[in-house]
Amino acid sequence: MSGGHVKLESLTKRFDQATAVHEISLEIQAGEFFSLLGPSGCGKTTTLRMVAGFEPPTTGKILLDGVDVANLPPNRRQVNTVFQSYALFPFLTVAENVAFGLKYKSVPKAELNSRVAEALELVQLTGYEKRRPNQLSGGQQQRVALARALVLRPSVLLLDEPLGALDAKLRRTLQVELGVLQKQVGITFLYVTHDQEEALTMSDRLAVMNHGRVAQLGTPEEVYNEPADAYVADFLGVSNLMDARVQPGGDGKGPCQLRMGDFTLEAAAGRLDATGTVKLAIRPERIHVEPYETTGANRVPGMVERLVFLGSTTHVYVRLATGSTLQTLVRNDGAELPYSQGTAVSVAIPAEALRVLPDPAVSAAEIRDETVGNDVLDLTGTNSG
Amino acid sequence: MASTAESVSDPARPEPLHSGGRQRGNPWRRPWALEGFTWLYILWSIVPIGIAVLFSFNKGASQATWQGFSTKWYVGNQVTSVLHNPSLHHAVVQTLILGVLTTLICVPIGVGFAIGVDRWRTRTSQGLNLVMIFSFVIPELLLAVALFLLVTQALTFISLGTEAEVAGLVVWNLSWPAIIVRARLVSIGRSYEEAAADLGASRMGAIRRVLIPMLMPAIFASAVLVFASTVDDFVIVEQLSSTGNTQPMSVLIYSNVHGGLSGPALNALATILLVISLAAALIGFIAYRWMTRGERTQGSTEALTSIAGI
Repeated sequence: MSGGHVKLESLTKRFDQATAVHEISLEIQAGEFFSLLGPSGCGKTTTLRMVAGFEPPTTGKILLDGVDVANLPPNRRQVNTVFQSYALFPFLTVAENVAFGLKYKSVPKAELNSRVAEALELVQLTGYEKRRPNQLSGGQQQRVALARALVLRPSVLLLDEPLGALDAKLRRTLQVELGVLQKQVGITFLYVTHDQEEALTMSDRLAVMNHGRVAQLGTPEEVYNEPADAYVADFLGVSNLMDARVQPGGDGKGPCQLRMGDFTLEAAAGRLDATGTVKLAIRPERIHVEPYETTGANRVPGMVERLVFLGSTTHVYVRLATGSTLQTLVRNDGAELPYSQGTAVSVAIPAEALRVLPDPAVSAAEIRDETVGNDVLDLTGTNSG
Repeated sequence: MASTAESVSDPARPEPLHSGGRQRGNPWRRPWALEGFTWLYILWSIVPIGIAVLFSFNKGASQATWQGFSTKWYVGNQVTSVLHNPSLHHAVVQTLILGVLTTLICVPIGVGFAIGVDRWRTRTSQGLNLVMIFSFVIPELLLAVALFLLVTQALTFISLGTEAEVAGLVVWNLSWPAIIVRARLVSIGRSYEEAAADLGASRMGAIRRVLIPMLMPAIFASAVLVFASTVDDFVIVEQLSSTGNTQPMSVLIYSNVHGGLSGPALNALATILLVISLAAALIGFIAYRWMTRGERTQGSTEALTSIAGI
């Protein structure tokens, strides 16, 4: 186990006409838990497969501890993969599956056995050596896949939606376990997922991907609290997006004044230097629903449109007087909600929680200008014109 | 009063959704017509075979009048039983030799063909797809005659007889392993080979250590089919056999059934042919189920369709 530093330099993958991955450059530190997060088709799995060696990159470099491995076959890279389907060999027992890769490392028999036992202990499957994969539950199969990869002591472990096939409860348990395990073994994890909760809870850092590009890269707190654009804000949890215009006169640093319909709001987060049309984002948990005609700054009247009971919380949808609908979260602490469907309310939007984001239509146009290429992928589906 | 009570619908029993129309009686009743037709079909296909098998055990020399049970046409008769008549005896041996040789040569070639076409995708493999279903498309007689001309006119180093028969049967049966193995390759997908490569296996290593074991059920199923189809084959072996001992059972039965040697010994020969084919299919079915026992979704239907090559 040496290093585990990964550096992707302008990595691009084209399939016939479509560009799956578009000049991705990022750096993953040794021992880091790094996630690639995005919806299906955003290029995250293709990126992972290029690092694993299953897909040759069209252009770009994959530096593994400083050595470009882009043209090496998978069996000659110090990386191992946990597949979404696990791909456990059904005709081999659990122990034989785990020992599969060790056969290529000319490990003495005694060491082989002890390493297999060690790996199974690590994933808490001691005692299951003689079973076949089909005699295991989904969660257990996932652990065998993990042991099979970890036993080779790779410098980087690639995980392709490893929890995707499991039920929600098991997924949560394994999320925690995976995080603990990663810290224990100290191997760099490159984790691919479309589940924002998974990425946020486990990662040291993550890259949110959109149409083959990195939309934002940062710690979970950064990308959640300070999304770079409306796409990231929307993808990472529910985000209320509203259209607004920046009022001239701001200094570009302090809170800026925005016009939304007939109302003026103050925002103290995000791109405070933005001008013209922007998107405003606010997390549901930061909005307060107050009695109608409560006075004060940053308040907009509205009407409760719908209540959705979710167990520990209730989602309240409020239609604002400006036309947009906001979603808020109310904890179910036993008290009865002071409003129901149709009640007129006032919505308080704290300035420090209201983020100014560049309009995606505008930023998409900017990207198009940057890359006068033959890329066929439309970036947002919205047209700036 | 009673009659009106009957005609007024009983509140406990809801009205049929489509009142009137042609719906009558119980929609879940047994489908008598379908059942009857099925039984007729079974009778039609099995009874003649049953009669042929029955008369191989006839005590007399008639193929039409039952004269009591005996196994003399198999072993008892010192001159004309399958065991003692050299031409019948040789036919059985020749059939088995052809079956085993063809299977041993045809299956590895077919497996290689399937892996090549499915895993090394190039432009030529598209065209080879067509070659794969070759024997389903062209008439067997055409291939048989063409091979006969080829062997007698051009490739004269291949002599008519066992050599030519095996060569012809391999060509004709190549589709079985190619198609069955390819179908399994598709259903297996590439992730197992990728996993093997990821764990350190070379391309050939992944095929040897992962793909071949996973293909075993398909390889075995196709071996059974090649064997059974070789044993049953008539058109190709008829063209490519020479006289003497290279005539398998099918050719011998054909050439003797109208005149020549006849009598229940021929029925005995046909029965042996039938038993060999059935045994091959049965062994294949059982072995396939055993080999795929680890795969949860396997049912006997799937085993059957694999064995039947569908």
